[in-house]
Amino acid sequence: MRDARVGGSPFARLSPDECARVHEAAVGILERTGARLLEPRAVEILRRAGARTDGDHVWIPRELVDAALATAPRSITLHDRTGAPAMELAGRTFWAGPGSDCLHILDHRTGVRRTPTLDDLREGIALVDALPDLDFVMSLFIPGEVDGRIADRWQMEAMLGGTTKPIVMVSYEPSGMEDAIAMAEVVAGGPAALAARPFVATYINVTRALLQGRSELQKLLWLAERGYPFLWIPVTSGGTTGPVTVGGTLALNQAGVLIGIVLSQLVREGAPIVVPGFGGDGLDLRTMVDPYAAPDARGPAGALAHWYGLPMFSLAGGSDGKVVDEQSAAEASLTLLVDAVSGGQLTHDCGYLESGLTGSLSQMAICDEIVSWIRAATRPIDVSDEALALSDVDALGVEGSFLETDHTLDRYMERWYPALFDRGSFESWQAHGATTLAQRAAERVEALLAAHEPTPLQPEVAAEIHEIVERAAEAAGL
Amino acid sequence: MYEDLLAAMRQSIADGDQDAATATANQAIEEGLDPLVAIDEGYVPGLSYVGSCFSSGEMFLPDMMLAARAMNAAMAVLKPELARRSQERSVRGRVVIGTVKGDIHEIGKNLVGTMLSASGFEVVDLGVDVAPERFVDAAREHSADIVGVSALLTTTMTGQRTVVESLAAAGMRPGVKVIVGGAPVTRAWAAEIGADGYSEDAVGAVALATKLMEGAAGAAQG
Repeated sequence: MRDARVGGSPFARLSPDECARVHEAAVGILERTGARLLEPRAVEILRRAGARTDGDHVWIPRELVDAALATAPRSITLHDRTGAPAMELAGRTFWAGPGSDCLHILDHRTGVRRTPTLDDLREGIALVDALPDLDFVMSLFIPGEVDGRIADRWQMEAMLGGTTKPIVMVSYEPSGMEDAIAMAEVVAGGPAALAARPFVATYINVTRALLQGRSELQKLLWLAERGYPFLWIPVTSGGTTGPVTVGGTLALNQAGVLIGIVLSQLVREGAPIVVPGFGGDGLDLRTMVDPYAAPDARGPAGALAHWYGLPMFSLAGGSDGKVVDEQSAAEASLTLLVDAVSGGQLTHDCGYLESGLTGSLSQMAICDEIVSWIRAATRPIDVSDEALALSDVDALGVEGSFLETDHTLDRYMERWYPALFDRGSFESWQAHGATTLAQRAAERVEALLAAHEPTPLQPEVAAEIHEIVERAAEAAGL
Repeated sequence: MYEDLLAAMRQSIADGDQDAATATANQAIEEGLDPLVAIDEGYVPGLSYVGSCFSSGEMFLPDMMLAARAMNAAMAVLKPELARRSQERSVRGRVVIGTVKGDIHEIGKNLVGTMLSASGFEVVDLGVDVAPERFVDAAREHSADIVGVSALLTTTMTGQRTVVESLAAAGMRPGVKVIVGGAPVTRAWAAEIGADGYSEDAVGAVALATKLMEGAAGAAQG
């Protein structure tokens, strides 16, 4: 497993007292305002545990929240496709990956924004597999040539076949999720093996903090029963579905997070739930776009998750810009840096442009470089005797050259070197075509795709997975 | 018949492996391989390979230092054998190098010296903070073909012009070629001060010195 620890003094946008205040506000909201849960089973589980209910309206008492927080796991380890531990979601760590379901691709070969294809999806996943600093994969694009009702099965098949990295999976309906998990079970060798060494985490977006949809809740119950990890991410938008202030939206959203924690732990103590490392954001009330790189709410949700000690899923690396340019590089850098120093753990959306509507493989390669840079800028510093090399300093004296020492020869590769950022002289940069970062990124994408062969699945495993896709197509009447 | 051995020699330099370089040099002596062939067809191509990898960004400065170390290890074994056979490695040219007066930076200059000598040039290194007249005296004393003048600072690079002028005043130009280098130095600056060449890195310096020697040989024949 990569050493993904973030060193130095922790950055926390909220102090422990402020976290406690937000938590108290969220508990109060659940007790006073309550929430509507559109899945009757969820209401019934809460009623039997002591919550007051009225139809689908539920008021959750503090005791249920406290009990759930006591059993929710503090650490979740996601594995890779081979069953080896790959990411421990705990403490001040930072893991990076792409996002899911872009409606458009900005083609790195032509510069044209168009509908993505299955081939784009497969190329993108191969690229994630090849990029050294991306730790997990998501579905990237919605392929335009397959029926939208079962596109999630095609995405899961492409991810399972195209990378060994852990998968954060998004599906539309519970049936799609069950199919995707069934595919993962085929790869793992059965449900018990998958639960013991999970390499798939299901991303559940929740409609509103206090209005939770039927399929969202069904997914939660199904996954919690089986002990499969999932990300419980309510969406509250400051100024529309929540108070316009960051703190107000964060507290309201947290009430929705607590509902998921309570439900999951009532279904199964220790059910592996991951909470948001983002929240408190809002629509841009000038354009009505949901911005991915707004600064206002960056950090507090992560601080809150650390205060609880719960595993978190963060959002950074995306841009509101339309092309691979100065804005997209700046927004990707800034958001990734803040989330990294916040210890954002599982951090998605590298490669997003146009506020999540468009994906770019060039932008993803640039994000990989930025993540690599950030890791070098935040990893703990070695101050051991060996690292300080005092014996060399003594031996070489005031004018000594360290270039030829064994210490240098042994350890010089510990320093960070860019794959994309140009550090050559002006003349060498000119001699190599006077390229921009975006041009070099597109070249790197091509070079990696040409050279990289993802480890394939066993043919019989791949065939069994494809049968699940075919069955879903038949069931949809296709 | 020595193809495998020559390949192992090239590889020892490419890997910066001193032990392998020493072992292959000893093997050459045991098996009767001409040491000059070992140098020119075994170790030197290995060094050229490392140099080209450094120029293209695939290898790093310490890799080149390792390669030079391995080269020196092989030469330490082969030199006594050359002497025993009354052979000499042909000198590709004599180069006097130094950092200009007022400047005590030496890493780039040292590297150029290492690469030139590993590549078969005879190098006299005058060190740092070298006055123009010392460049002139040393060039005369050692019958230098080339004088290499290093400067790291914009404030000291004007000293490169002074060295060119001093050599001219001593009547040694254009016979003695002058090459310049250092972070602020450019091709345009080299042309402006009347130097014969500029290279961005130590590998380029070897190519430049080789080209200047060929030019000199051509001129002598012409």
